[in-house]
Amino acid sequence: MDTRNRKKDSGTEKGKALIRPGMTPREIVSRLRSLDGIMITSTGMRDAGQSDYKNRHRIYDLATLAPCYEEMNLFSSECHGGARWHVGVMNRRETPFEEIELLRKLMPSVMLQTLIRETNLWGYRPYPKNVIEYVVANVDIDVWRCFSFLNDIRNMRAVAEVVMKRGRLFQPAISFTQADWTTNEYYLSVVNDIVDLCAGTDEIVLCIKDMAGVGSPKRIKSLIDAIKQKYPDLVVQYHRHATDGLAMPALLAAAEAGAGILDAQEDSLTRFYGQAPILGLHAYLEESGIKVHLNREAAETAVQKVRDWIGHYEWAESPFKGFDHQVTRHKMPGGAFPSSFEQAEKGGFLHLMPAILKVMSLYNKIVRYFDVTPGSQITWVTCSGIVNKYEKERGSTGVRHIIDLLTRFVEKKQQDFNAMTKKEQEELLELFRNAPGDFKNLLLGGYGRLPMGWPDEWVYRSAFGEEWEEKIKSRNELSPLDTLKPDDMDRIRKDLDDILGRKATEEEFILYLMHPKDAVSLIEFREKYGDAPLVLPTNVWREGLKNPGDKVEFCHLGMPYCIEIVSIGAEHEGVIHVVMKVNNKTRVYKVETPRARKVEIRMASGPNQIGAPINGNVWRIGNPDRGSVKEGDIVHKGEEIANLEAMKMENAILAPFDAQIEEIAVKLNESVEEGQLLFVLKELK
Amino acid sequence: MTKKIKRVLVANRGVPAVRIMHTCCDRGISTIAVYSTPDRLSHHVHTASYSIHIGEAPPAESYLNTEKIIKAAHKMNADAIHPGWGFLAENSQFAQMVMDAGLTWIGPSPNVLSLMGDKIRAKKLAIMANVPTIPGISDVTSVKQIKKWMKDEDVCYPIMIKASAGGGGKGMVKVEDDGDLPQALEKARSEARKAFGDDKLLAEKYIERGRHIEVQVVADTHGNVFHLYERECTLQRRHQKIIEEAPSPSLNHDLRQEICYTAVRLMREIGYTSAGTVEFIFDSSTQKFYFLEVNTRLQVEHGITELITGIDIVGLMIDVAEGKKFEFSQDDIRPNRWALEVRINAEDPRTFSPSFGTITRLQIPQGPGVRVAQGVYEGEDIPPYYDSLLMLLIASGEDRPHAIRVMDRTLSRNFRVEGVKTLAPLLLSIIRHEKFKKGEFSTRFIENHMDELVSMFKDKDSQDEVLKIAKYVAEISALGSQEWM
Repeated sequence: MDTRNRKKDSGTEKGKALIRPGMTPREIVSRLRSLDGIMITSTGMRDAGQSDYKNRHRIYDLATLAPCYEEMNLFSSECHGGARWHVGVMNRRETPFEEIELLRKLMPSVMLQTLIRETNLWGYRPYPKNVIEYVVANVDIDVWRCFSFLNDIRNMRAVAEVVMKRGRLFQPAISFTQADWTTNEYYLSVVNDIVDLCAGTDEIVLCIKDMAGVGSPKRIKSLIDAIKQKYPDLVVQYHRHATDGLAMPALLAAAEAGAGILDAQEDSLTRFYGQAPILGLHAYLEESGIKVHLNREAAETAVQKVRDWIGHYEWAESPFKGFDHQVTRHKMPGGAFPSSFEQAEKGGFLHLMPAILKVMSLYNKIVRYFDVTPGSQITWVTCSGIVNKYEKERGSTGVRHIIDLLTRFVEKKQQDFNAMTKKEQEELLELFRNAPGDFKNLLLGGYGRLPMGWPDEWVYRSAFGEEWEEKIKSRNELSPLDTLKPDDMDRIRKDLDDILGRKATEEEFILYLMHPKDAVSLIEFREKYGDAPLVLPTNVWREGLKNPGDKVEFCHLGMPYCIEIVSIGAEHEGVIHVVMKVNNKTRVYKVETPRARKVEIRMASGPNQIGAPINGNVWRIGNPDRGSVKEGDIVHKGEEIANLEAMKMENAILAPFDAQIEEIAVKLNESVEEGQLLFVLKELK
Repeated sequence: MTKKIKRVLVANRGVPAVRIMHTCCDRGISTIAVYSTPDRLSHHVHTASYSIHIGEAPPAESYLNTEKIIKAAHKMNADAIHPGWGFLAENSQFAQMVMDAGLTWIGPSPNVLSLMGDKIRAKKLAIMANVPTIPGISDVTSVKQIKKWMKDEDVCYPIMIKASAGGGGKGMVKVEDDGDLPQALEKARSEARKAFGDDKLLAEKYIERGRHIEVQVVADTHGNVFHLYERECTLQRRHQKIIEEAPSPSLNHDLRQEICYTAVRLMREIGYTSAGTVEFIFDSSTQKFYFLEVNTRLQVEHGITELITGIDIVGLMIDVAEGKKFEFSQDDIRPNRWALEVRINAEDPRTFSPSFGTITRLQIPQGPGVRVAQGVYEGEDIPPYYDSLLMLLIASGEDRPHAIRVMDRTLSRNFRVEGVKTLAPLLLSIIRHEKFKKGEFSTRFIENHMDELVSMFKDKDSQDEVLKIAKYVAEISALGSQEWM
């Protein structure tokens, strides 16, 4: 570790990071306490992309910022976690491990930061304790920002323990929203829980996570004041989205109230739902007399770098443009904006978005938690489901009707179920009947305790029908950490090995633990296409090479390569021939289009189906003693029923039991592949 | 009586056919390739001066069809037939048919072919010629009898007691010392009775870590029988050789002389002509060798002998067939190199299951000390009907370590076969294995070390990886942005 930076307040000197990987949490906190100004976490490599570009920013492009970050004197770079993990696996086809490895190389003095959803880690459901501990112990991250959509601090215990034991910085976050029930007293109780969990304030940084961007400057100032009065030594970081249009003054208010670290992103990345622009924030705070530890010159270079590639991502931007102060009512978090609109567009109900947002603003008064993953997904699926159902059954009149009903219930009748008419009650009792399983699991305590207690009885009647009383009885008050049974890790690892047909790497195993199906699909993709996601420029990655002579050059495993397109043929019977030069050697690629005729090869499955043991040629059906066999024939256990030849070696296929041949699935002299169905037999008992 | 051969029909395909055509070409002899339907675009067909179609894919309808081949020879005005190796090479009836048809047979006489084709007669002949065979005794009934045999013939443990009617490992018991003998005999007898209904037993010396050593012999029709020294072919998988070398690292000077002259003595006794090989199993613990069989043909691995001796064995076979007398003596044969051959088979290097399809890219390494015997070309389809040998890579150097280094370079630098899998990764693992380098191996080396060898396979090959990337570029260029992005 570099100890030359002991000098207090070394300011913004070039190349001298105040905070760097390898420092102990205690050293970090002590340095932050002694600072006379604020530091910045750049969210350019994670939340900026998640909030406005559906997490599609590729590490190929983000890596161009790393040399600037290395000089910028950042507190940290949030480059990992949240939905970036899953979108990387599904859409960018790059793994968080590859990203960390690359960034470590390019910016060794920058603290890498992740965002983690307590027991839900980087997925959407609670994982058992042993999985959490294993995963957290095996991901090389310096700053672990951990939030709970329920502010149920009990759920953070497993993550906190492992992170602190590893000597990495644990950054517990309180989920912030502005509502009548989210008072300073409420948040102080949450902070108390956190300080208890972490045994004081000396080894943590507390994050206030304003994920929807709804905190008014006064509200934020008052909250941080309250926290600082009770815990003067607690280092506070304010994470805020810009959605309501009030980010700048709110950030200034936070800094004035004593926040030591603020989140910002490159100005050129800024759209509407991410963080505030870093250069603007720097200027605004300095003008207001607050020192910002930032190498402005390097930050300006980073802002310029973004312009080189940001144009490749226009397609990923949210169709819903502009700030939205109504977020203070519907509370949709920045990170969920683009994906929700994407789903609405794909599902053909983009026109219903205003209605859905309105229903959300009423819903979150009925079931009270914080709209951030996985809560935001539960809110989204539940509310969009309700609106869609009414639209399908009764058109736009239906949509207006449900909004009217809920508004009357929530605003006029103060959620007094008995004050509603009989007919209205019946309708409310149907409201959550088709709600998603995750919503029902939430009501039953599957994710932990709800911050303001369980919803009213009628919600249970609505969700569970006649079983509602039993369900309430089965409701769980404990943290999922204490209730979920441990997973059998050895079995899971073996499952993956079996799927892959080889030993999985440690990293593949962790990807599989998080998202089994998608991880396998990624691994298969990468086995087929290698490092294409890492080495190809974004335009080639998305569109390929267009015109003859277009080429792409890159280095891979230390060797220079060039791929040049010669011609793309016309489609014929579902096949396009692409001629390319790879390092000057001409190669022809047969590309199947979705119209390609797939020759279906039937594979054997089950004990009655006999498959080919090897690739080969069926040169005999039957055996020399009895001649050929045909469908309907009776064969005896151990009798040869066919013979495959491959490279001069004969392989007899024997009947595994006495049987009647139901079907012969191949013809004489046909070439078959390993596992291909040869016979269907009916066992004779 | 000599006769000049002018046009040779090569009754084979792939590597052997091409190999023979090369020597014919050097000697100004025109060549005729025969081919089956799926082979019509094969390498050997287009290497020959002329080609003729002889039938459909199954070997019985083409490369094993004696009548069609002789008819083709007449039609194409061939005056001789070389059978290569495999297919009809050791078929005495075919050799006779060729001669009866008025054509010259390039190979040993039909007599010798038929004699050596019978393993029991061959072993008897070897015993008569005073060539050591694996010591054994038949009709075993008592411990006393076995002990007497071991004493009389100076056999030491381990020995194997086998059912006379045996097979499939049943009724076979290995015996390590005197103490085990009575139970072992009883066990073998009872197993033999159960498995075969016949409790007749035999006992044989068990060769623990056997090595496979063979001596190349050439003989003319004038009584000259010379050896071209030995080859070591111990490394096998599924009883098929995959790496051969010459000379053998197992033999010292005296043993080498002894084994080579024993082979010559046997071949002289038989009345052998043309090129042939005497195979021995060598017990490295006792330094004793035992006769196995005579291979009455040109062998796959003859090239390493050619490299160390400078002699063209196929050329000698033609000389012999023409009735010429050798113009050199045994003393003129002086090996001065070390040579190593690997067989590039189209097989999965992990499972040995055959891999066929189109060879989409073939890049053959050259450079000092490398000889390549190629049976296929880039773009060729490998049909499933025939054996999986694509090519032979032979490396030579001044000594064994040098030859291994040349082979390492050959296999690891830019040797590429795309479209089908080959044994190349396994072969590279073997020649890099410490035990191989030290010359410490037996016929079971590969099965005993398979996991270790597979773990030595190269993880990622830069060129393979780039082709994956290129495949992606091709697909996206043709299909455009994808939904999943």
